[in-house]
Amino acid sequence: MLQCLSFASKLYSLWKLIDLKSAAGALVVYVNADFFVQFLVSGLEVSMATGRRLGSRGDAIVLLLLIVAAGSICTSATNFQPVSDSHRSAAVEIFTPVDGSFESIEETYEAVQTFKILGIEAKPDVRVTACTLVSEVLGASSSPLKELFYALKVSSLLKCDASQFEATASRLKSIPSNAKSLNDLYYSIAALVLIKNQSPEADVLLDDADGVFQAIKALSQSDGRWRYSSDNPASSTYAAGMALEALAGVISLATKDIGKSRINVVKSDILKLFDSIEKYDDGTFYFDDKSGTVSSLATTSSVVQGVTAFASAASGTLNLPEDKILGLTKYFLSIGIPGDAKEFFNQVNSLSCLENSRVSIPLILALPATVISLTKKDKLKVKVTTALSSRSPPLSVKVVSASISGSKDVSVIENQELVFDEEGALHVLDLPASIDVGKYIFVFEIVFHNSKDGKIYAPGGQTKVPVHVSGTIKIEKFEISVLDSDVGSIDTQKQLNFETENDVSLDANHLQKLRLSFQLSTPQGNAFKPHQAILKLKHEKAEHIFMIGNSGKHFQVILDFLGLVEKFFYLSGRYDIQLTVGDTVMENSFYQAIGHVELDLPEAPEKAPRPPLQSVDPFLRYGAKGEISHIFRSPEKRPPENLSLAFLVLTLLPFLGFLVGLLKLGLNLKNFPSASVPAMFAILFHVGIGAILSLYALFWLKMDLFTTLKTLSLLGAFAMFVGHRILSHVASSSSKLKSA
Amino acid sequence: MGEKPNQANSVSPSATSAAPAGSKSSDLLSRHFSIRSLKLKTKEQELLLRVTVLCLVYVLAFITRLFSVLRYESMIHEFDPYFNYRTTLFLTEKGFYEFWNWFDSESWYPLGRIIGGTLYPGLMVTAALIYWTLKVLRFAVHIREVCVLTAPFFASNTTLVAYFFGKEIWDSGAGLVAAALIAICPGYISRSVAGSYDNEGVAIFALLFTFYLFVKAVNTGSLAWSLASAFGYFYMVSAWGGYVFIINLIPLYVLVLLITGRYSMRLYVAYNSMYILGMLLAMQIRFVGFQHVQSGEHMAAMGVFFLLQVFYFLDWVKHQLNDTKLFQAFLRITVTSAVVVGALALGVGTASGYISPWTGRFYSLLDPTYAKDHIPIIASVSEHQPTAWSSFMFDFQILLFLFPAGLYFCFKRLSDATIFIVMYGLTSMYFAGVMVRLILVATPAVCLISAIAVSATIKNLTQVLRAKPKIVHSCSSKGGSSAKTSSKGLLDQSQPIGKNGAIALLFGAFYLLTKYATHCTWVTSEAYSSPSIVLAARGAHGNRVIFDDYREAYFWLRQNTPPDAKVMSWWDYGYQITAMGNRTVIVDNNTWNNTHIATVGRAMSSYEDEAYEIMRSLDVSYVLVVFGGVTGYSSDDINKFLWMVRIGGGVFPVIKEPDYLVNGNYRVDKGAAPKMLNCLMYKLSYYRFGELTTEYGKPPGYDRARGVEIGNKDIKLEFLEEAFTTSNWIVRIYKVKPPKNRW
Amino acid sequence: MVRSTGDDVLALFHSLRSAYAATPKNLKIIDLYVAFAVSTALIQVVYMAMVGSFPFNSFLSGVLSCVGTAVLAVCLRIQVNKENKEFKDLPPERAYADFILCNLVLHLVIMNFLG
Repeated sequence: MLQCLSFASKLYSLWKLIDLKSAAGALVVYVNADFFVQFLVSGLEVSMATGRRLGSRGDAIVLLLLIVAAGSICTSATNFQPVSDSHRSAAVEIFTPVDGSFESIEETYEAVQTFKILGIEAKPDVRVTACTLVSEVLGASSSPLKELFYALKVSSLLKCDASQFEATASRLKSIPSNAKSLNDLYYSIAALVLIKNQSPEADVLLDDADGVFQAIKALSQSDGRWRYSSDNPASSTYAAGMALEALAGVISLATKDIGKSRINVVKSDILKLFDSIEKYDDGTFYFDDKSGTVSSLATTSSVVQGVTAFASAASGTLNLPEDKILGLTKYFLSIGIPGDAKEFFNQVNSLSCLENSRVSIPLILALPATVISLTKKDKLKVKVTTALSSRSPPLSVKVVSASISGSKDVSVIENQELVFDEEGALHVLDLPASIDVGKYIFVFEIVFHNSKDGKIYAPGGQTKVPVHVSGTIKIEKFEISVLDSDVGSIDTQKQLNFETENDVSLDANHLQKLRLSFQLSTPQGNAFKPHQAILKLKHEKAEHIFMIGNSGKHFQVILDFLGLVEKFFYLSGRYDIQLTVGDTVMENSFYQAIGHVELDLPEAPEKAPRPPLQSVDPFLRYGAKGEISHIFRSPEKRPPENLSLAFLVLTLLPFLGFLVGLLKLGLNLKNFPSASVPAMFAILFHVGIGAILSLYALFWLKMDLFTTLKTLSLLGAFAMFVGHRILSHVASSSSKLKSA
Repeated sequence: MGEKPNQANSVSPSATSAAPAGSKSSDLLSRHFSIRSLKLKTKEQELLLRVTVLCLVYVLAFITRLFSVLRYESMIHEFDPYFNYRTTLFLTEKGFYEFWNWFDSESWYPLGRIIGGTLYPGLMVTAALIYWTLKVLRFAVHIREVCVLTAPFFASNTTLVAYFFGKEIWDSGAGLVAAALIAICPGYISRSVAGSYDNEGVAIFALLFTFYLFVKAVNTGSLAWSLASAFGYFYMVSAWGGYVFIINLIPLYVLVLLITGRYSMRLYVAYNSMYILGMLLAMQIRFVGFQHVQSGEHMAAMGVFFLLQVFYFLDWVKHQLNDTKLFQAFLRITVTSAVVVGALALGVGTASGYISPWTGRFYSLLDPTYAKDHIPIIASVSEHQPTAWSSFMFDFQILLFLFPAGLYFCFKRLSDATIFIVMYGLTSMYFAGVMVRLILVATPAVCLISAIAVSATIKNLTQVLRAKPKIVHSCSSKGGSSAKTSSKGLLDQSQPIGKNGAIALLFGAFYLLTKYATHCTWVTSEAYSSPSIVLAARGAHGNRVIFDDYREAYFWLRQNTPPDAKVMSWWDYGYQITAMGNRTVIVDNNTWNNTHIATVGRAMSSYEDEAYEIMRSLDVSYVLVVFGGVTGYSSDDINKFLWMVRIGGGVFPVIKEPDYLVNGNYRVDKGAAPKMLNCLMYKLSYYRFGELTTEYGKPPGYDRARGVEIGNKDIKLEFLEEAFTTSNWIVRIYKVKPPKNRW
Repeated sequence: MVRSTGDDVLALFHSLRSAYAATPKNLKIIDLYVAFAVSTALIQVVYMAMVGSFPFNSFLSGVLSCVGTAVLAVCLRIQVNKENKEFKDLPPERAYADFILCNLVLHLVIMNFLG
């Protein structure tokens, strides 16, 4: 059981590394949990070895499937492990007192009882709080029966020194004689029994035990089940358990013992009850309450408690079939570790009842590991314990037969005794050399030596356990080759080595064939057929899977591309080749990229089917895209400042030259009009031009085009007006001058 | 004339817009009458006649372009005008600076487009100015009306320019005839009917105006005129890419003048100032930018500029020193050095890539077969095809015969102006032969030259009629060059033909002109007045059927799709979708990014699933196809499909044209190529078409546009679903399905 | 040959100077102005050649303003030159007005282009 969970967790941790396609493939294939995981691990090793970092292509759903599958696989496994330390740790986790005390007295009882049975040292100390609780429950006169009952149980476990036993006893004593419902009877009687065990001086004996016995018995049914009360016709198995326990109590409380005949009637009732027992196909038995209100676990545990209590109370032996006792035990074990406190308590409690019962003590034969690796020279180990994994009496285990599962041929081992080694308390068998890899069914039998103590043990005949013998498979003649078609002459051939990374590159056209062949043989040199031998061709647009057939040791697949062009959607180009060889018993299972083949296929005719749109990796398409870092344009290089300034000065030089030249030429303003009006106009004209130029400067510095244009229109009009006046004046004067 | 457009767009344009002209002439009359009694001097009579004729021509030019408005309604035509309209709207709403820095994210998704930097703003600014002035004048008009009537308005102005141009190069009579001819010339009307709100409408005016001003500048040699021509050039640059024609024609003209030894100071003044100022002004248009100093197309002008400097310098030196021997030596040195320097500069510039090589469109002008081989996206446009004779006849009619005659007259009386018009005519005729759309450029020249022919002939003939042999001299003594030549013409014409012959010839001429007028009217009303966005067809009983599917579809888009939906269609419809549908498009008619268009072409021509990947990558939410199979509308996407394949294949070799052809011919019926039958465009066009019976007596799925029964009748769409199909199936819109769930 | 050309050049310059001395003063002023503009343009070109033409519009506007003014000045010179028969009917004042107008426009554009 423990394995399963750890497998699941392992799976989860392996998650990022394992190629889930192969894992999913394996999921449907492998039945047995540990093997499944071992395959995965081997796959993991391969993938680590080949260093292929397979992105987590997977989806949570497949993960879920895997875990569920692992769980289901575990329960269906027939190798029951007895209660072990994992139970204890789980118990501590499940029963954790909230600030020193449990919610109810009942839960307190369950916790304490479980701790006691499992013998846990590191239990939380609740004694004080529990005892105070007990005393106040007992002290209260109006506390209901049920609480009284549990309080007494707790005090009996924790040895609380409660003084109110007499009072309680006197209060309880009156109940059974005139109680109607089974519950009242059960609780009151059980409580009385508890009181009797704790304080002998308290007077708890029933006077008319016979009458009470009758009253309880009156509720019983013909098929061995009981009713809760006389006015309630519905009968239940759970009630049967209670009734039996109550009867046991009555017997122990009776002043004069109950008549033998009555007891035998009850015994026959019990047998009847056991006739209605239910059975799982892995050989586990359980009781089911038809009314459906109670879970089968609770029912079974109540019955088991009842029966064992009755068996211990009643005189004479109660002979129940061994296999049913064993089946019940296996049923409780098969639950694994329940998460619920109640179920946990029921499981553990009833297991302890079975173990301490006078009926018969079931023995559990378990294999610590059902994987036996030939390469590691593992031995076949068997452990025989009781359900609570206390040591078994001296006994010897022998393998009746061991045969390849599914095949009816002769078993490889016949009646062979296992060697018992003291420390570890294991029965060990060296596997004979003849045994080969494969899945086997081992049949064990427990042989008792003379048992000193008078205990009756239920070894339960022969137990069948599936055992996987794993080993390294030899791979030979591992080669891939391209054949020219029909002639079959080899065009190119490459040898491959499966341990190391292969990277072959082949070329082929549609008239050729691709052949991949290898030989598998077991350590013994026999032929070996793995569960998976798959060849995968991956194109960027499509991928195709081919099974590799075998004849004896020789595996080969021949791809005739001429026949496959349709299937390949006429997609030429690079195909990656991946080979998967895997089996549960093959320790060197691998999933490996061999290389690629460059196919050139004919052009697709138009009617050809189009390849399905490849499902792009959702993380690629919908995941976060990489951040785009904006690259700014690098600024243009600017000249050094002083150079620019130098040229600024340089550009001024010609202007100076211009002025100098003007002076040299002897510039004069004698054309400037002397008369006042024209002079004013001339000045205005130059002012206007100056204004316009300064406006340009402003435009360059801050104004925008339109404002500039508006202003310019005004200034321009002005300048034009005055300019026209002055120029016409100048013209007329000059013409006058000419004419003169 | 500013208020003419908005008067024209009241109910009956012809009447109202005739009114002011009438009033104008009448008050002119009254003025003349008031000046004198009924008797007028011949000069005044002539002026009066000229003004009247001009006004009438002006009005005529306007109203003859209003057919489409009367037939349909006042709406924008074609494809590009919708972009211009959209931008004008933006300009009028947001103002100039917003417009200038406009980054349009609604087109070329996901790239977007910098509108301000990639368009010629002249048209929009003009329309906006008209609009604003009208608003200032308190005329409440919608901007759309202004846009619709901009082209006719400028056509009218062109007639005025033509008059002055003709007057400049020949005489006023020729000017009048030119105005009349150009007013109704179909080659011009084809681009300037009301509603075709496109650059050319304004550009032709600017072109002619620039030329006129330049010729004027050359004739007078005054800086003012050349400045004006520089402004004209600036306006042209801001309006149309065709300005390259100007910037190459004028240097060529100057060069010819130099070679023919007609170099003059006037030319120097005119050209240099015009070049410098024009270049600087043109650089203010961002879309043109530095091309004037960088791109190969403009280098000719610069070269001529430097050449002129050298020439002037030589001339000056020669004038300075009269020693020929020295001058020879000097000439040697300077010329060699100049040539060396020039060649060096050009070589270095080209080698260093500083001077960009010529663009494909320019090449395709020089070599008509260039585009077909290299730039399918240019060749795909129907108006870039070489011109057929029929279209010449269609657009020019008699002008085609008058043109050589005009050339003859021009050569007979060579002057700078006539040389200019001759060169303009010849070059533009060549270009018109290369590209259909360039007939537009040739039209003014043809009109002017033929006007010269007409007026010269008629003048001579009339003088034959008038003249008594003896008073030839008196009439030739009138002075003025025109009279001289006319008398010359008379002298050599009056010998062969007598009066009767002259009369006959006159009648013949009038007959031809009337034929021309009727032809023009007919062409205008029939051919050029349909706004290819609303289709008209003749119904079974001869009645006109209107297919308004385009607008139906675009309004559906506007109403029923999310505002951020991205529509993929072939680029022809991009402008309309953005303008009318107000949705983002992947590509549109401004074909600046060939790769992007090729991507769309690839999507259209590949299988549905591949196309789906492409469309996902472009984040397309709707696909729009145009389909004429039901109505027989032949210019639909299936007929354009081969161009999509070619353009797509030009960038993505995955797409191969032969895959869509069956041994060389293009079919959609059963015999079609399988890839054709399964490509996206085919599926989208013919989806559910197989169930439809289009014509009586034909099987279902009968394609009326191609006259065949389609080959693939059961079309299943996997990644798209039909969203909307217009009433006549002309536009079909499909929705791109969202991607499938992951699990 | 080289020798002779050298002589030619010398002779050329001599004759040129002598001839130029005869030109009227206003033309000389214009010539000076032209020379000033051209030399400024040359300096800018040299600068560009040294540090590269990064703010290309600034460079262009700088050079073109010089070239433009030079060209306009030359035009003015042509027009006011008495010896040019073509421009008899054009009074120098009118030419001057045109010149100023053109210059104003030119520099408006330059300012806009200067960035």
